[in-house]
Amino acid sequence: MGVVCVYTFPVPEGKSGQQVVDSLQRQLELLGAVKTANFSVDCETYQSNNPTGAAQRILHVLHNSEQPASCFAILDNGTTLVADVLFEVLVAKLTQSKSGKDGYYERRKGLKIESKGPRFELSDFIVKIGSVSMASNFKGILVEVEYCPCAIPGECWELMKEMMQSFMGTVVENPPMAVKNKKDQFYTPSDTVAQYLEHFNNFRKAVVNQSPR
Amino acid sequence: MDPALTQALKTGVAPMQEYLLQGSILDGSKDILLHRLRGLCDNADTAPETFSDHEMRVLNNRCSQSMCKHLRYVGQTEMGIGDKSRHTLVRTCLDIGVSDTVVKFLNEMGFRADFEFVARGIFFHKGRMKVTVSKLFKLSQPGDPQAGLEPVSGSHLVELSVVAPTGQEQVGEDMKNFAEQLKPLVCLEKIDHKPFAAAKQGT
Repeated sequence: MGVVCVYTFPVPEGKSGQQVVDSLQRQLELLGAVKTANFSVDCETYQSNNPTGAAQRILHVLHNSEQPASCFAILDNGTTLVADVLFEVLVAKLTQSKSGKDGYYERRKGLKIESKGPRFELSDFIVKIGSVSMASNFKGILVEVEYCPCAIPGECWELMKEMMQSFMGTVVENPPMAVKNKKDQFYTPSDTVAQYLEHFNNFRKAVVNQSPR
Repeated sequence: MDPALTQALKTGVAPMQEYLLQGSILDGSKDILLHRLRGLCDNADTAPETFSDHEMRVLNNRCSQSMCKHLRYVGQTEMGIGDKSRHTLVRTCLDIGVSDTVVKFLNEMGFRADFEFVARGIFFHKGRMKVTVSKLFKLSQPGDPQAGLEPVSGSHLVELSVVAPTGQEQVGEDMKNFAEQLKPLVCLEKIDHKPFAAAKQGT
């Protein structure tokens, strides 16, 4: 597991998401990257039912195809749990209503969001270009770059920035928050998932802001 | 949900069912039981494995912390204790490997710790049956098993359990036959937990 940076890549006016993805793909192939597989990162959101009026909790359950046997559960205050995929069955039990009473948590409909696309390998780097969609609507593009040999962000950020700027340009100026906060510590897969969650929440908020009155 | 997981749910692979028989034996007679179990169970020529588990019960979930953190959801007993067709207690169970943040995570999800204890003992297995002979300890300092432990009673708890996919009724028969071989040292039977839960709520 290396250090991962996830950035939103803007879609210019007049171009479609697919055109931008194709153009990024061409640039990567010119650099010598080889497509190995497809990837997907998805997020399902649940909300607590609190009849006693206690503080409401939002629970996000994410999956990353890079860690297929795991699922990541993140609460709205940032507490993260990494568990095996059976955790989802437990969440399903918590959302089940029994004997007329509502479940402890309920799934928020229409908020499932995912980033899917091709995965490339370019020597020590893995690059993934994801098209983000929510309820089959295209929302944007997320580019994930992983530098595999190093697990400490402070030691490889400059190298990663140079590599990312070679095909993404000035979109990459500062490290993502999850990477900045862990400058001298070991980077973990839950940090990658936290970056995705931040981007997914931004895409969801953008939908709310744009919804017609 | 992942398609493989949906398939697992349909075929009854997850959640699994736990078949359970429980009994106890006085500390003084424990060694005879261990000797008999060594003869009956697998790997008779190697020393049996010991374990030390710190278990916390959180509402209806059990969280067992040993070498790596492990979350176990245990459901209500199926069909009640009076069901004569079942020789063992049967309940749904889900075993989930988790990261170290599980206790904090469950607290923030809204669960509250119910009780905790440390179980230390030996476990044996025979095929898919697991037998544990363990001594239960109370923690002098809640949350810290290193601070000091007091034994709960002068006996060891003996449990015979099998975790299997739903619908495998032969498991109960096999467990009953195995339990017969441990009599009269220890009487393994299905124990109704409801009176204990009701008594606890009354206190």
